[in-house]
Amino acid sequence: MRVFVVDNGGQWTHREWRVLKYLGVETKIVPNDTPVGGLQDLDGLVLSGGAPRVGVDPSKMGRNGEYLDAFGGPILGICAGHQFMAKHFGGEAAPAKVPEFGKSLLNVREPDVLFEGLPDRFEVWESHNDEVTVLPPGFVGLASSPNCSVQAMRHRSEPIFGLQFHPEVEHTQFGGEIFRNFLKVCENPR
Amino acid sequence: MKFDAEAFIREQVGLIRNAVPGRAIIACSGGVDSTTAAVLAGRALGDRLLAVYVDTGLMRKDETADVERTLQALGVNHRILRAADEFFAALRGVSDPEKKRTIIGRKFIELFEPEATTFGAEHLVQGTIAPDWIESGGQLRDRIKTHHNVAGLPADMKLKLVEPLRDLYKDEVRAVARALGVRVAERQPFPGPALAVRVIGEVTPERVALVREASAIVEDEVQAAASRGLMPLPWQYFAVLVPVQTVGVHGDLRVYGHTVAVRAVESIDGMSATYSKIPHDVLDRISTRITNEVPGVNRVVYDISNKPPATIEWE
Repeated sequence: MRVFVVDNGGQWTHREWRVLKYLGVETKIVPNDTPVGGLQDLDGLVLSGGAPRVGVDPSKMGRNGEYLDAFGGPILGICAGHQFMAKHFGGEAAPAKVPEFGKSLLNVREPDVLFEGLPDRFEVWESHNDEVTVLPPGFVGLASSPNCSVQAMRHRSEPIFGLQFHPEVEHTQFGGEIFRNFLKVCENPR
Repeated sequence: MKFDAEAFIREQVGLIRNAVPGRAIIACSGGVDSTTAAVLAGRALGDRLLAVYVDTGLMRKDETADVERTLQALGVNHRILRAADEFFAALRGVSDPEKKRTIIGRKFIELFEPEATTFGAEHLVQGTIAPDWIESGGQLRDRIKTHHNVAGLPADMKLKLVEPLRDLYKDEVRAVARALGVRVAERQPFPGPALAVRVIGEVTPERVALVREASAIVEDEVQAAASRGLMPLPWQYFAVLVPVQTVGVHGDLRVYGHTVAVRAVESIDGMSATYSKIPHDVLDRISTRITNEVPGVNRVVYDISNKPPATIEWE
């Protein structure tokens, strides 16, 4: 299986690469201005988090919009990748009322393949200034935290997922399982 | 899938041989990363490698003597440079943490270049690991701090870099170190700029000596408590000299003394961390010893920040 990581300048982009590698996936970090044509024959794509402030200036997000429109396979957006996804599909991302840094508690509210086999509440690691404030049409919110209502979302019918928290970080509980669940989707996208 | 240290070693020995047709020097601080890189490069290059250790005057208690033993045990060519006066002179009057890191990075290269010329080396091997270049930033990635071995390198450096551990985190480097039989495999991480980034504010020999003594007490007490089973050994544990003076009372007399912060964290890779839940009895012993044994310190505080939002080191 081949799943690449689009680098949006995150501190944990390389951790996403490491987690995928440990799960036995062929993976590579690619810059976010890579033409979508250069991402053929992949089973999935991860859009990393990063320093760009999606809620303030989404212009540094390179070709993420093209990937969301034309990649065609499963996509997992993390942090800035998730916020950009919401904005791109007609939702809204803006500076968070209460930015979250470090430990937080995830509350899974809608059952989904991404959280299959996991408890309803567990500890996750955060690092964000902006957040999704309005879900895009066609998306459903999956999880929240005490200070952020959209911690996870997905498209109702397409295999497109967004996470505000960071499953790639060691201190996030069940992070590896979340990636494994995403890889299951990559194996069987429909 | 687990990280395969043996396969990594085989691959990297081949890659280093290809990258270095002639001779190389390796910058070796005696820590886990650079010592592991030295052994790897030694396997690849044999006598074509020279390990250089710099005593910056910023190292921990008895560290230089210990690194000399490590280098001897490695069986690679090595040189020890004594440059404490140069480092203190270069750091005089500097309190900005990023300036400190840049000055130290440049100083290292100034010392390495003549060594490389004498040895006939064109390449510099470094034990750079993933968090070093990630946190140093570049392009889209923000610079969290200047790691001296990445963003601290002078732009006009002539030596060509070889960094076999670039894609590894500390836990993976330790696995490689164990597979190579490196004696410092389990040593706690220690920053390249050393105690200069644990003295907040200006770096002077006196202030470095103070944090050195305080750190030795933290290490001593934490290791003793861990070996008695009172707590797990943290990922990293040390003292920081904070530029805050506060009031105390010593033998019925007013004192106005220094503050030391104790930092201990749990981590796997250094990219996220939680503060260690050290038992209060252990903190109590650390506090009493530092305030009694380190002259001028009358207050000790414990840092209870996670990463993020804080980083492990204070600068």
